[in-house]
Amino acid sequence: MELLTSILDHINYIGAAALFVIGLYTVLTHSNLLKRIIGINIMETSIFLFFVSIGYVSQGQSPIIQLSETTAIYVNPVPSALILTGIVVAVSITAYALSLIIKLYKAYDTLDYFEIMEKSQEVSSND
Amino acid sequence: MDDLIVKTITRLIVPFIQLYGIYIVLHGHLSPGGGFSGGAILGASMILFTLSFGLEEAKKKVPHRISMLVETGGILWYIGVGMIGFISVGVLWGNKIAGFDLGEPGRLLSAGMIPLLTLAIGAKVASTMITLFHTVIEEDE
Amino acid sequence: MIRMLPVFNLLVLLATAVLIPVFSKRVFTKIKQISTVAMIFATVSSVISLAYVVQIEGYSIVFGGYTSAIGIELTIDAFSALFAVFISALAFLIIVYSFADITHEIDEDQYGSYYTLVFILLFAMMGMTYTNDLFNMYVFMEILSLTSCAIISIKRKKANYLAALRYLVLNTIGSLSVLMGIALIYMVSGHLNMGQISLIIRDIWQLYPGNIVVALGFILTGLSIKAAVFPLHVWLPDAHSNAPTPSSALLSSIVVKVYVIATIKLLFKVVGADIVTSLQIPPVITIVAALGMIMGSIFAIGQKDIKRMLAYSSVAQIGYIFLGIGLMSEQGLSAALFHVISHGFMKSALFLSAGAIIYYKNRRNIKLFDGLGYQMPVTMIIFSFAALGMVGIPGFSGFMSKFYLLVAILEAGVPFYLGVILVSSYLNAVYYLPIIISAFLKEDKEGVRTMKVEKLPKSMLVPLIIIGVVIVSIGFYPQLIMQFIELAVATLIN
Repeated sequence: MELLTSILDHINYIGAAALFVIGLYTVLTHSNLLKRIIGINIMETSIFLFFVSIGYVSQGQSPIIQLSETTAIYVNPVPSALILTGIVVAVSITAYALSLIIKLYKAYDTLDYFEIMEKSQEVSSND
Repeated sequence: MDDLIVKTITRLIVPFIQLYGIYIVLHGHLSPGGGFSGGAILGASMILFTLSFGLEEAKKKVPHRISMLVETGGILWYIGVGMIGFISVGVLWGNKIAGFDLGEPGRLLSAGMIPLLTLAIGAKVASTMITLFHTVIEEDE
Repeated sequence: MIRMLPVFNLLVLLATAVLIPVFSKRVFTKIKQISTVAMIFATVSSVISLAYVVQIEGYSIVFGGYTSAIGIELTIDAFSALFAVFISALAFLIIVYSFADITHEIDEDQYGSYYTLVFILLFAMMGMTYTNDLFNMYVFMEILSLTSCAIISIKRKKANYLAALRYLVLNTIGSLSVLMGIALIYMVSGHLNMGQISLIIRDIWQLYPGNIVVALGFILTGLSIKAAVFPLHVWLPDAHSNAPTPSSALLSSIVVKVYVIATIKLLFKVVGADIVTSLQIPPVITIVAALGMIMGSIFAIGQKDIKRMLAYSSVAQIGYIFLGIGLMSEQGLSAALFHVISHGFMKSALFLSAGAIIYYKNRRNIKLFDGLGYQMPVTMIIFSFAALGMVGIPGFSGFMSKFYLLVAILEAGVPFYLGVILVSSYLNAVYYLPIIISAFLKEDKEGVRTMKVEKLPKSMLVPLIIIGVVIVSIGFYPQLIMQFIELAVATLIN
């Protein structure tokens, strides 16, 4: 019972760790290039979840100053601001990776990583 | 895509989406949002326009030269706002120290230099999303 | 005014990067003029700020006039000023080289984009050297990884796309590990500023040791992927060998070193040498570095393409630097920093002369290098200087860095690594010396035996000669650089 309440209290952190491992597994084992990019996005989502749930202060309100109350407990707004930057970085990495995959598909006509490695090996061993 | 229903609905809705994006950019210092999310919404409205009307029409609305100038102007504006603080006091990107008028919290014209920076970020993010989308779609033709 | 010079450095680099597409409009001479002016300003201002820091004192700037606990801080002390001079001087020489070489490598409508990317890369590297804030370092790291992938894939060949995609995926996994480590440190300390964390790290270490261990593990793994330490180096050969020559020189001599500097800052400034030693991390670093020194050289022996061989040799040399870091002493750290600077110059000399050979003769295969010493004497002499320096012949800078490293090993009392360095030097000789021998002592197919200076463009020859002079002068007078390094190490270990 003790274990169950402590798991439910920290469910954010356990979820973030599980998503990180699932994302890493997807990147390392799947052979389709698009699935690898999706795996990177899952890893990034897990880190954003971890970072934002650090800033929670119990019994705090959302961090917008109300002019009527002067003493109130607010949730820490700094992690949310940092994660906005992180989301923009993640979007630009995904955009760049997808445009590289389009070029690779036009050059090799397949999206499978191992077939692309085979085709590039036979071209380079012909030199 | 060449569907009549999609074109009509897009023509009706795009102004409202852009108004919402401008609202989020302008109120960046009062409510959640700011430059990044407002710029993304503005970019998304132009992506909707490109998808339903085709690449040629979208390039007439936002040609390549204009988005390049907006990007350059955004960064130079950001550096310029920082230099205002440096020239008057000696501190880069100073808000209250450099003499910006802070106003009362909660009104639209307040918080010194933060709305100026938010405008630059919003314009730059919107033009980046449009440029990225046009470049990726162009390869496909 | 002199105190604000580093910030102006950064702003000028960023403004140049943004102004190049507006002013150039496919006129290459305008791009050359703007880039030269910007790089001269960057180099001169870094030298002036290094002179200021050495004579007077180190200082820090906080943006916006806030205190350092809530603002973004830049520290300018001997360590960051020295490496800013190194980055800007070497990048200036490589950019001048690239004015002539880039016409053979990429299409004409992409010249402006290439120089924009190079200037954003320089902005990110200078920012990462100066910054004192953890999340700021992460943002600069991401900018650096995106632009370094972009200057590989700007050449429109199939192999480049695959190499750039692999580099991007592995680099992103590294950055995400570093961000997870930063989140774990922020969770228990509440500060993102490196100075503030180092003040309270003792109390955190008593209360929450688990967080510090896991955070250090994540951060070191992430930075090791990016710095190409031995088992995690698999992206390096494809990426550095397929890129255009100025890109591979920039990547292999400067970009990889900036991640090593970030590791040094994190291990010594934030956490402190005694906590790291009590966690038993240094033996792991030294063993992995020793493995890298041997395996990198073994992989390089069997290569036929010259750029691929130089890329594998980088893996071995990064092993030397991490061995110096893992000894956790003043002499070890000084030896590692000296090797960072001397390897940067030697590796860029090697890549630039290989690029000159490809430009002039269009040959990449090692077996076709017979008799090249007579047709391209200046290039092959600089190549020989750099290669002999890598092997460790006295008189060149590589010998001095191995000497300092050996003194540090004997001082730390682990003579096993002395044998590892000797074996690795022999292996270096196995693949560098045959090239020099076959270039100068064998005859090529036409039987040409008269030496005449080759007709390379001046903007390619002059940087090569300058780098060659620097290698020889550091080899004979290492005190020129060692005096700054001793000041730099004094700020890290005290």
